[in-house]
Amino acid sequence: MKSFMAKPAEIDRKWYVIDANGQTLGRLASEVAAILRGKHKPIYTPHVDTGDFVIVINASKIRLTGNKLVDKKMRWHTGYPGGLKEIDYGSLIQKKPEKIIEAAIKGMLPHNRLGAAMYKKLKVYRGSEHPHQAQRPELRELRG
Amino acid sequence: MPRVKRGVTSHRRHKKVLKLAKGYVGSKSKLFRVANQQVMKSGAYAYAHRKLKKREFRQLWIARINAAARENGTTYSRMIYGLKLAGVDVNRKMLAELAISDPQGFSQLAEVAKKS
Repeated sequence: MKSFMAKPAEIDRKWYVIDANGQTLGRLASEVAAILRGKHKPIYTPHVDTGDFVIVINASKIRLTGNKLVDKKMRWHTGYPGGLKEIDYGSLIQKKPEKIIEAAIKGMLPHNRLGAAMYKKLKVYRGSEHPHQAQRPELRELRG
Repeated sequence: MPRVKRGVTSHRRHKKVLKLAKGYVGSKSKLFRVANQQVMKSGAYAYAHRKLKKREFRQLWIARINAAARENGTTYSRMIYGLKLAGVDVNRKMLAELAISDPQGFSQLAEVAKKS
């Protein structure tokens, strides 16, 4: 008997809402990443994206432990000479709190085309509102 | 005496290797020297990955059982331990298939594991 392999066309995908209010960044990110990958379903298949859609709300109320608001920085290079820019997470949480959660989750997904496809199922919003009512998302509690 | 041309054996040998190298990218399927190296490497990979296949499938079954176990309020590790205590002898492959094709049956097994 052959082991079951999910077919991309036959996967039914749900939508989940996750409230980031008061959650610790990494603990939230690891659970969201697992849902995006589909590791919470028995039909999980490594070479197929079996995951569900995740809407993260209240991104601006995420919690960072320790001294990370001061010490942790996001860096990127603009391509120009001397173009290495950085912003500390304390300022980032004021300006673009979505970026914090997106970066944390992206780093926990596979770094390949499949991972990129999984990442597209993630929607992050800073407030408690989201424009995906039509998809009838379910509220999902985090495990821990 | 008929005239004898040389190179028959080596031609046959080359032909054998190039046949194995069919479908390889670029010169790996056309030039004997490059094809030969790739055929040797491919054989080594094939041997190693026949062993790896068994480990990778076991990993996959465990990941699936874990997902199904968590839907039933337990975890992979607790469930397997419980089944062992209860004397239920179902292997991981079948547990994983059960979780997909017969979720109710899997739930019953999860209950058995939780009680023991």
